[in-house]
Amino acid sequence: MSEPSTDVIRLEHVSLKYRLAKQRITSLKEYAVHLVRGTLTYEELWALRDVSLRIGPGESVGVIGRNGAGKSTLLKVISGVLAPARGTVTVRGTVQPLLELGMGFDYELTGLENIYLNALLLGRTRAEARKAEPAIIEASGLGEFVHTPIRNYSTGMLARLGFAIATAWVPNVLILDEVLAVGDAEFQQRCHARLQEFRDQGTTVLLVSHDPHAIEANCSRCVWLEGGAVRGDGPVADVLRQYQDFTYLREHGGAGGLVTHQAAGG
Amino acid sequence: MRDLLRYRDLIAALVARDLKVRYRRSAIGFLWTMLYPLLMMVVLTVVFSAIFRMNVANYPVYVLAGIVFWNFFSQSIVAAMNSLRGNATLLTKLPVPKAVFPVATILSGLLNLVFALVPLLLIVAVTAHPITPALAFLPISILIAGVFTLGAGLLLSPAAAFFSDTVELVTLLLTLLMYLTPVIYPLAIVPPHLLWIVEANPVRSILEVFRAPIYDGTLPSLTHLGVAAGVALVALLVGAFVFERTSRRLVLYL
Repeated sequence: MSEPSTDVIRLEHVSLKYRLAKQRITSLKEYAVHLVRGTLTYEELWALRDVSLRIGPGESVGVIGRNGAGKSTLLKVISGVLAPARGTVTVRGTVQPLLELGMGFDYELTGLENIYLNALLLGRTRAEARKAEPAIIEASGLGEFVHTPIRNYSTGMLARLGFAIATAWVPNVLILDEVLAVGDAEFQQRCHARLQEFRDQGTTVLLVSHDPHAIEANCSRCVWLEGGAVRGDGPVADVLRQYQDFTYLREHGGAGGLVTHQAAGG
Repeated sequence: MRDLLRYRDLIAALVARDLKVRYRRSAIGFLWTMLYPLLMMVVLTVVFSAIFRMNVANYPVYVLAGIVFWNFFSQSIVAAMNSLRGNATLLTKLPVPKAVFPVATILSGLLNLVFALVPLLLIVAVTAHPITPALAFLPISILIAGVFTLGAGLLLSPAAAFFSDTVELVTLLLTLLMYLTPVIYPLAIVPPHLLWIVEANPVRSILEVFRAPIYDGTLPSLTHLGVAAGVALVALLVGAFVFERTSRRLVLYL
């Protein structure tokens, strides 16, 4: 029984494992060979271990942790790209994941054509895309270049276009993975301004970053993942301090017996 | 499935892009899809009438109808199997319903089938083959073929995501299946003791339902129609079920 709640995101005992074959098996033939020889062994890598989280409307939560700590996997589970092996994930309302800028761009098409293609990939209809088109062009700052094939764009232009499309509609939940790290100062400023608008309208924001400053600037709460489990959860300043103490100890304390976790799934 | 409806504009855009790419790639583009089955027909007609000395009334129409059907069926399944790996970067980054990609490839295959009817009907006209009102049944035949192919595509495409060589395996099996189906040969040449193999093959019914209105000028027999519709429906249900069950884990393997 679950009591009525206002949580926008709720994860209960979520676990997810990647099954890594010791020998990378990609074909049926290899699989059969290993099966017959009895050499079919797997390494199980738990990317998430018993993660429970509750995030309310309008909260801005930063997710921090080392490479392979499960940050990206957590965002993918919340956005619905990956299904958990155990536990339940409930997200209320619309989710807009932005795990990479310019995902799904077709480099042969013009900026304008990509606005449509990308909006459709994000689950919008043509009509919605048409309505948002002027605002997206405006936000991207591309001007006349919107009619040029995007293979001629600079990285900055691609980033601006990708961000403009993904943030054209106000979602209930916005999920960002390291995307703020790209682009110049002006782009970052635009991003922060847009994020602030979203927060003002009650959007819940989840942000993964290696950069503690990005989390400090954008979030009020921070979740620290280590080895796929939640190691800390609370006000940004507290959790960041714990995290920094921990990394300092690891680097200078010579903790030799610790298990290293392989990075998985980017 | 409700998700697919929400993403219908995306499916339409993927189909449009697929057609654009297909017809842009070769110099004579669109003409090539018309020409290819015609050339196949010429080759097979020469082989069968000159070398095998087999007598089938208006063999060109018979074989062209068979080829057009089979090309749609086999090419769509292979394309659907490749569609998940081909869109791996999207599937691992966006919560797009995974079925969008196989569904779009099979829809674009269906459109190609419709285009291929142009040379087919051209040959019907040129050879003065009788055209009857039964031809109006063809859209239903195409629908049945489409439903069956979609089911087979949904059933097989997850396998290609788990193991890449299943595509080659399926291609091989499709070739075998083609020879077990009277696509290029008439049923009359099958030795009586092997006839049961061809008759047990459900794809044959789907082919007959497609070919009867064109070649025989009649409505398909009730037996073929019943088997074809039933098999198509079962294929779609099984395919959708398997796809739904496996698609949850599929992204981890892409």
